[in-house]
Amino acid sequence: MIRAKELSIKICSKEVKSVDVVKECFSRIKEVDSKVKAFLKLNEESALRQAQRVDKKENKKCGILEGIPIAIKDNIMVKGESMTSASKYLERYVSPYDATVIEKLKEAGTIFIGRTNMDEFAMGGSTETSAYKKTANPWNIEYIPGGSSGGSAAAVSAGMIPFALGSDTGGSIRQPAGFCGIVGYKPSYGLISRYGACALASSFDQIGTLTKNVMDAALLTSVIAGKDYRDPVCQPNEWIDYTKGLNGPDVLKTLKIGIPKQLSDYKIDPEITKYFNEAVNKLKAENAQVVEIDIPAYKYVPALYKVIMCAEVSANIATFDGIRYGYRSPNSVSLNDQYAKSRGESLGYEVKKRILFGTYVLGAKNYHRCYHQAQKVRTLLINQIEQAYKQCDFIFTPATLQMPVKFGETLPEECDIFLIAANLAGLAGITVPCSFTSNGMPMGVHFMGTRFSDAKLFKVANAFEKVASFDVDRYPTL
Amino acid sequence: MLKEELETTAFLARIDIKDEEKEKYLKDINSMLDYIEILQEPSVATLKPTTHVTELKNVWRQDIVKPCSRETIEQMLNGAPEREGTFYKIKKVIEAQ
Repeated sequence: MIRAKELSIKICSKEVKSVDVVKECFSRIKEVDSKVKAFLKLNEESALRQAQRVDKKENKKCGILEGIPIAIKDNIMVKGESMTSASKYLERYVSPYDATVIEKLKEAGTIFIGRTNMDEFAMGGSTETSAYKKTANPWNIEYIPGGSSGGSAAAVSAGMIPFALGSDTGGSIRQPAGFCGIVGYKPSYGLISRYGACALASSFDQIGTLTKNVMDAALLTSVIAGKDYRDPVCQPNEWIDYTKGLNGPDVLKTLKIGIPKQLSDYKIDPEITKYFNEAVNKLKAENAQVVEIDIPAYKYVPALYKVIMCAEVSANIATFDGIRYGYRSPNSVSLNDQYAKSRGESLGYEVKKRILFGTYVLGAKNYHRCYHQAQKVRTLLINQIEQAYKQCDFIFTPATLQMPVKFGETLPEECDIFLIAANLAGLAGITVPCSFTSNGMPMGVHFMGTRFSDAKLFKVANAFEKVASFDVDRYPTL
Repeated sequence: MLKEELETTAFLARIDIKDEEKEKYLKDINSMLDYIEILQEPSVATLKPTTHVTELKNVWRQDIVKPCSRETIEQMLNGAPEREGTFYKIKKVIEAQ
């Protein structure tokens, strides 16, 4: 599997046929997906037909991603296709329209290969809450791939597809990318339209990319980012080519990298600490300036995230009423009973638990002490992060504090707090793989930049990728 | 959270939960309620709550009905578990006197 950037040039110049690329993807999928289980649905026939059309095209004008296959997380709508969000509730749902990112990908000429597995309604960090299947980590299939975009991360990591889309509400792109040894990018809040994506917690949700390398993340983002009146929080920014100047010289020189002193408050896997320190030294060797920053409110991140996210979940999932679409219980006697049974019978435990907790914290009796208080603590965290950016350009941490666990085991809640902080503050974040640990599994690091620093973030991540010794072209043996 | 509170919350959320699962919900939600205590710790009385990180303001527009293609209407209605003509069909909500 070669890089998407190179593929786009070769397909456009007819040096490589799109049909051959698509066939290669499906042959790899057939070879390994019975073990990895990354995909919920595949569109082999339509993908091949689409690729043939690309190859037959006479005129030389190519879309930016003409003829390149992509996988889509199963919570983003593609017109006429099913979208389950890995829930039984949406088992028979067919999308009546394209999400904005899908419209843009179609315009750019990408080929849709299939839909990837995820935690039910993106609620989880292991892809185990999917109502359909459990996806494995391609580097060791006894371990979780992370989540909720676990299917997308595993598919890219195993070489089944050059890149994929995911969504990130509390690390859901970057954590699985870290666990699977690929690049995971969550844009600044408002950079990419969420129109047509299944909402989880609307003040955090963003669509983002899972790729083998930073260049492909920048390329894909250039296609899907941009203003959209249909997502009211989408900023009306001018179009940016994020690949431009990506390989420029001296990106790291004099760059100020902030490392939170709170890292020492947590139990971190010793190998993660070791390789993270090596990564810091590599940045120093490029003349980056490393400073210690202090954000005491990091300790509130798990509490903040759980309270606000569940509150927003309870509001968003309220739209699933079993009336306009989705599952309707055949066992009900009244309308209220129908709502309750339709949800009770079709939603998984994790989803129901979050709705119940969210409903509780929003209740008239608890609102002030729970939800309102959490929103104020969110302001505190944002203020402290803003202060920290006066001392540094980017905040640098390990992607996760622990390595992936086996199925059925749980990760400690502080495992991805440095990723979740980016969602709480609406900032841009990217994880880049940096090393393999002694058990043969990869680990990554996380750069977090200010809001709308995305172009610079790509440059820094790309420069780090070059100095990190991680072989981005290595694939797991399955 | 007590069992009665769980049942009230489940009713408010319109979610049917099984009797045998109630203990598990209570255990999990009660451990999540520890988060509420953690959030009382910092002094934030003077801070404004953050609902969104954007500075966007509300935009008003005329309430004008735009036409929608018959095809789209059909697709939307076909997604419904039950329909009648161009209506979604639900259980009767008004009882006969």
